Amino acid sequence: MAPGLPAEESKLNYAAHIRYWRRNLKTFLPHHYTGNDSNRMMLALFILSALDILGDLQGALSAEERQGYIDWVYHCQLPEGGFRPSPATDFGPARNDENKVWDPAHVPATFFALLILTILGDDLERVKRRAILAWLRTVQRPDGSFGETVGEGGRVEGGNDSRFGYMATAIRWILRGNIEGPLGRVPDIDVDNFIDCIRKAETYDGGLSESPYHEGHAGFACCAVHALSFLDRLPVDKPDGRLRGITNLPLTLHWLASRQTLTLDDEDSIDTLGDESDSAATCHDAHSFLKLGSYPSSAGEQSFKDQPTSHFELQWVGVNGRPNKIGDTCYSYWACAPLKVLGYLDIVDGKPIRRWLLDRMQHLVGGFGKLPGDHPDIYHSFLGLVVLSIFGETGLQDVDAALCITNRAKRQLESLPWRRKILGLDGVQNSDWAQDGGIASVAGYASISGG
Amino acid sequence: MPKYYHDDPAWSDIDPLPQDDGTLHPLAAIAYTEEYSEAMGYLRAVMAKNEFSERVLGLTEHIISMNPAHYTVWLYRAKTLSQINASLRDEIAWLNPTALKHLKNYQIWHHRQTIIDALDSPDGEADFIATMLEQDAKNYHVWSYRQWLVKRFGLFDDEEELRWTESMIESDVRNNSAWNHRWFLVVGGRDGQAIGEDVVAREIDYAKRAVRKAPQNQCPWNYLKGIVRHAQLPISTLKDFALEFADMRRPDDIYSSHALDLLADIYAEQESKEEAERALHLLATRFDPIRAHYWNYRKSLLEQAGTAA
Ligand SMILES: [Zn+2]
Repeated sequence: MAPGLPAEESKLNYAAHIRYWRRNLKTFLPHHYTGNDSNRMMLALFILSALDILGDLQGALSAEERQGYIDWVYHCQLPEGGFRPSPATDFGPARNDENKVWDPAHVPATFFALLILTILGDDLERVKRRAILAWLRTVQRPDGSFGETVGEGGRVEGGNDSRFGYMATAIRWILRGNIEGPLGRVPDIDVDNFIDCIRKAETYDGGLSESPYHEGHAGFACCAVHALSFLDRLPVDKPDGRLRGITNLPLTLHWLASRQTLTLDDEDSIDTLGDESDSAATCHDAHSFLKLGSYPSSAGEQSFKDQPTSHFELQWVGVNGRPNKIGDTCYSYWACAPLKVLGYLDIVDGKPIRRWLLDRMQHLVGGFGKLPGDHPDIYHSFLGLVVLSIFGETGLQDVDAALCITNRAKRQLESLPWRRKILGLDGVQNSDWAQDGGIASVAGYASISGG
Repeated sequence: MPKYYHDDPAWSDIDPLPQDDGTLHPLAAIAYTEEYSEAMGYLRAVMAKNEFSERVLGLTEHIISMNPAHYTVWLYRAKTLSQINASLRDEIAWLNPTALKHLKNYQIWHHRQTIIDALDSPDGEADFIATMLEQDAKNYHVWSYRQWLVKRFGLFDDEEELRWTESMIESDVRNNSAWNHRWFLVVGGRDGQAIGEDVVAREIDYAKRAVRKAPQNQCPWNYLKGIVRHAQLPISTLKDFALEFADMRRPDDIYSSHALDLLADIYAEQESKEEAERALHLLATRFDPIRAHYWNYRKSLLEQAGTAA
């Protein structure tokens, strides 16, 4: 055994995680979640999807509860289509044309609501699907980016980074697969324009940023890659005339692999500010390098010589979101999920990342914290679980890395009759669609007009 | 001291709208404080009536203090400010401590952009940014906001901006946000167009000096490679420089995994396959084993290229 390896094998504490997530589902979240009052739909998806990944969804829910949750999601659907993230802006009977601008359909809420309904086994028949697809076009700006809501005078509100593009393209994929062009009278989003926007956010070091020339960030890289996958515009070996994103794949792979770090807590990250010893000659500069340089003795190196990988069985490897930042649970998702979606997950070693999550970030009460010793929160606990599943943790249900739901739930979505009809998957070929170059068959059209 | 509205005569004309969670089984229900619950009830009531007034400003401020991520509240506040012709300078004065309290909040920055855009002047913003960066020198929102300011007020060629960026890099040469800001000014300011030879030489020299200060720091290496690529110079331009930090004949004197990484690329380009392999092997086994899988993948690419040739 290599020196310094933990005596006990790192373990996912299933019972504690199930307890943690069931508590989040069934009891009020503590008031410090008030800052997430506008993100309740997101928290709800994380809670239900976590239980599904843990294989506990059936056990955790009675039929009555399941229906109750489905009804709550529909309660957040707006009369004109799309979802609000919680009832916080619902004016009830007082809602009218003058004030509904303060209670708008919300891109993240709509994305999460559709996923929740899918996980709970709803058929999405009560979802105003056509209205959502028509609205998506209006949340896209002339520069191709997506916002969060449509505000007064049709103004697109919210940031113009890839987060909303990720969720908007996911909504589109859920409701109409990756068919391009208008569907009946419902126009498509401007796919090429959005791809252009992603290409402009690629940074000189291979990351992806919030907007052109801003700093690369794993969260934006992940959202961009996921969006490309929903649009079927990931890079390919041979150009096929379609505009694609990630124009320098080797550089982006380099950047994503570089997010693995040995800077695991604040102590590690104390840098050598103004330290005279920080020079080429002394090489006292980098936490990661210093640790590695001093770790294997020459004897140690000898004994590992013939092993091609993971020579030093590095115990814990963290993942950060930007160069020279500290490891953080959520970035293991933001950096590894795009690798999975790109088909390059094997350029990172999942084992030490898994040990880091389980030994350093997993909390006794279940869930994961942001940093070692932190209390768990819903966001880090969920993404930590998803990453473990992406790396194939025994006992967890396998997930779709881009949608963050189990493949079981995804298959249930793909089996819905209205969706199969749109995609022409039932033998009844959607022939009008194919022949008219963009006009869907009456059946296909009717099937997206639900609700 | 919690603040309530039901016994405040200034609000006696308003019937609060309680939150309707719809069913017996709401999802992600939060145990709100009574104070927040009540304030939100009054907010719904005034938004439903489209009331824009001084008291609404106070109400939004109160709610923001409890939930700064409430995007609708910010939009409603911005509209209120413009409807009642409120002083935008006062708004900035209020925003400063609020932003310091909520360092990671996105909406505050968006709101600030709206206000500064309307004021049409960046005066005082540099000082405020400096205060924010004292708390966290790598705060993504703050740098993004700085970049918005530079673009909005055309400061790309302002020498003061480049000098400030240098001072940020000097105070922490590992601050990637500061390096990126330099790229933003030097390359972004040209919007991707070619930069002059003198500027290329200046940037290469600048990054090299930073590498000498801390050879195992990825930021200046990435910057250096970025400039060379942008200027369409062969990567072998950097060979002698990389060898200073990673002479493979003396593996005990290797000072930088990034230099080895760069050498592997240079050797691959020069079709010195064995040397490229050796660099990647040293990275995987000794100088950067946490990325062993990646370096081995790179090695496998060399082999593929070998068979394809
Ligand atoms: Zn995090």
